[in-house]
Amino acid sequence: MKKDKTRLILMAVLTITLLIGAVLYGFTMTESEKANPGNIISFLIPLILVIFMVFFIWRRYKDIKEGMPLEDERSKKVITQAAAKSFYFSLYWLLAISWFESFFADKLFGLEKLDAGQVIGGGIAGMAIFFFAFWFYYDRKGKLV
Amino acid sequence: MKNRIKEFRAKYNLTQEDLARKVEARRETIVFLEGEKYNPSLDLAYRVSKALKTTVDELFIFKEKK
Repeated sequence: MKKDKTRLILMAVLTITLLIGAVLYGFTMTESEKANPGNIISFLIPLILVIFMVFFIWRRYKDIKEGMPLEDERSKKVITQAAAKSFYFSLYWLLAISWFESFFADKLFGLEKLDAGQVIGGGIAGMAIFFFAFWFYYDRKGKLV
Repeated sequence: MKNRIKEFRAKYNLTQEDLARKVEARRETIVFLEGEKYNPSLDLAYRVSKALKTTVDELFIFKEKK
């Protein structure tokens, strides 16, 4: 139980760190007038991740208060399957970002070319969103391999 | 896999949360077990059977695929 509480605290610290990073990025973005669609997305995606994490941590906190374990064999299987599925989807996501940025961003939409940091950030954020989406799906669906 | 967890749980007046605490599993796992949407490991099946004072054979109904 103490181990579960420690893990939950670590998750909360990571979430707060992510939130602070996103907020600071938002401030620097407005200060330097670099608010283009790429930067706005870079700002919004971590915020969405923070919302997911807050929801997840809140659920787990309630469980710990009721004396439930943080994870068991089923929850570990859910995470494993979600991670596997999100890995495959993330490969296509990263390809899509690089193709979009290389061929379509400025030609079709007149957008500024994304810098490497934004591409990587978008890739990582997408991977995280896929993971949380699949985790939610498998946690609800029940039928696991 | 079909099972009689709900029947045995009612016999001993246990809630899903009570059973989950006894077998050190999450409540959702017990919910999915009873709903026959999750097949437990042998270890969990044994712990659930022990908590419900029965055997794995009595609790889980295994049907061979033809």
